[in-house]
Amino acid sequence: MIRQVNPVDFWRGIALVSIFINHIPGIYYSRFTHTAYSISDSADLFVFLAGWALRYMVGAPSSKMPAWYLTLRLWGRAITLYMAQIVITMIALAILAGVALWLNNPLLLEWHNAAAVFNDPGQTLVGLALITHQLGYFNILPLYVLLMTMAPVFVLVDRVSPHLVLPLSLLIYGLTLGFQVSIPTWPIEGEWFFNPLAWQLLFVLGFVLAREDGIGGLIRRHMQAIRLIALPILIIGVFLTYYGWWIDPTEVPTPKLYFLLSKTYATPPRVFQFLALVAVMSVTYPYIKQFASWLVEFLAMLGRNSLYVFCISSILSLVGQIVRFLYQGSVYIDTTVVICGILIMAFTAWLLEWRKRFNDRISLRVAASSS
Amino acid sequence: MAKTFQRSHQLAGGSVVVLSTLLLSVLAWAQAWGQDNVVPPSTSQVPFSQDCQIGDIAVATESPLPNVAAALRQRKQIKILAFGASSSVKQGPMRRGHTEETRQILQRAITGLNVIMINRGVGGELSSQAAERIQNDVALNEPDMVLWQVGTEDALAYTPLAELETTIIDTVRWLKQHKVDIVLVGLQYVDRMERDEHYRAVRQLLNRISASENVMIVRRYEAQKQLARTQLNGSNPFQDEFERSEAGYVCLAQYLARAITIGIFRERGRPLPNPNLPRPSN
Repeated sequence: MIRQVNPVDFWRGIALVSIFINHIPGIYYSRFTHTAYSISDSADLFVFLAGWALRYMVGAPSSKMPAWYLTLRLWGRAITLYMAQIVITMIALAILAGVALWLNNPLLLEWHNAAAVFNDPGQTLVGLALITHQLGYFNILPLYVLLMTMAPVFVLVDRVSPHLVLPLSLLIYGLTLGFQVSIPTWPIEGEWFFNPLAWQLLFVLGFVLAREDGIGGLIRRHMQAIRLIALPILIIGVFLTYYGWWIDPTEVPTPKLYFLLSKTYATPPRVFQFLALVAVMSVTYPYIKQFASWLVEFLAMLGRNSLYVFCISSILSLVGQIVRFLYQGSVYIDTTVVICGILIMAFTAWLLEWRKRFNDRISLRVAASSS
Repeated sequence: MAKTFQRSHQLAGGSVVVLSTLLLSVLAWAQAWGQDNVVPPSTSQVPFSQDCQIGDIAVATESPLPNVAAALRQRKQIKILAFGASSSVKQGPMRRGHTEETRQILQRAITGLNVIMINRGVGGELSSQAAERIQNDVALNEPDMVLWQVGTEDALAYTPLAELETTIIDTVRWLKQHKVDIVLVGLQYVDRMERDEHYRAVRQLLNRISASENVMIVRRYEAQKQLARTQLNGSNPFQDEFERSEAGYVCLAQYLARAITIGIFRERGRPLPNPNLPRPSN
């Protein structure tokens, strides 16, 4: 049974399209995504909605699902995400290697942190398997894998004492930023582009705010007032992003990460701006649904099949970069890349739903004939 | 007699002044070395391996690294923040990132020096994205120097040159303003890209910025091109361009170490003992 259109799938669809476009650096259409005018970007939305979807996955705190079953289910999801990461990474490497051979241009082997894979396959393949080596723009799923691995802790705490989940998350976040804790990469020395210990806050915020009662309920009851506060934050954020206004990072007080604009650490200014964005934009969904229902249906279809669509869009982004490189990037090429990319993403989602509908029909027929 | 005495006295006085000045200079020099306990290397201590010999080509422009030199003087420790693509290189039985290799060469070359290398490279990142992170990471890590491999991703993504120029110049000036030295690492050499106009334009832009802003640039492209020519002459063991790409990182680590060493000791006014240092060619 295919899910009805809902705001979560719709916004997730928007995040997927936006990630696809923004993962093609230099593309003309990136200026039309919210990333160009917002401190936060689609990655924040994607992770927040993943947390929101986690609430649907595990049910209410009163759910009778045994803890061990819940844990296994979440880790099972983490394994699915891990496998998706490995598959898309291998496809990306094959594309880079194939095009490099075709063009006799080894520069392409250097792209997106791929050099180590070809120069030192022994260690780097271990790094890829351990997700400690990540290709550029292929670094959101490793974050998601770790978040899903950590998820049982938050879900089980939520069952025992729902009011402790957010403080626990904030504590981890505060310590991570305060002591600049990072997850190292290997075999190339560095740190994860998305720090899971910091980004878990957005994931947990999604999980907590999705609740009908508790803090989620409280927010819903006061949404009008919250939007009044959020709107100026959003407008200020637009100016800060567009004109690059921010305090000199060397002059902010210690602990500096509490005041910097860092994507790696999903720092507080970024989180506040993102929450303001969510509060303001959530009011638009009913109107978009009313006046552009086809758009809502389309994006919700992408959102319903987010993992597969995300995987295909990651590959398409890479292909888009190669096409731009081959044809020396122009508005016409960029337009073709974006249209073809979104159509293929939509075809992927449609195919998955067609297969689901087909299987449902077969099951119904089998059930009817057996009865 | 009196005149002679007076002249002798003057001569003696002059000699005393000259000798005293010389003595003081020597003492000051000796004291500086004594305080530092840092021995300047000869180029033979920052060697190029057989595969990375590039003849008379200058590895880097001779721009001073005053903040690194000051750090060396005061703390015997330098902190380097590295941005840009990275790969691992094989040295003996070990494999490590090429920036880590640079760190080890520097430590071996300059006795008593402790080098902290912080790698913050993100694959596929444009210069504008890196520029934002550079400011944050400088605030967080307080480095003495930033090593920025810049331009390749922008060349591949066809970033407009004016935009790229503004980004790099703004970042270079910001770093100087914050007393952080910068070493730019230029584009890689690949045969196929020789004819790519945008690639060439980005390379020229980097050289222009290096000259106008007086910042050091490691001439990776020129060095790799020379290596490729050597290979064509049959005196280099690399078999094809793909292998050359891997070997390029080994050489890059060595070129970086040499360039940084030159930058430090040029600033300190102590020419490296080896007079045959490569000179800039432009």
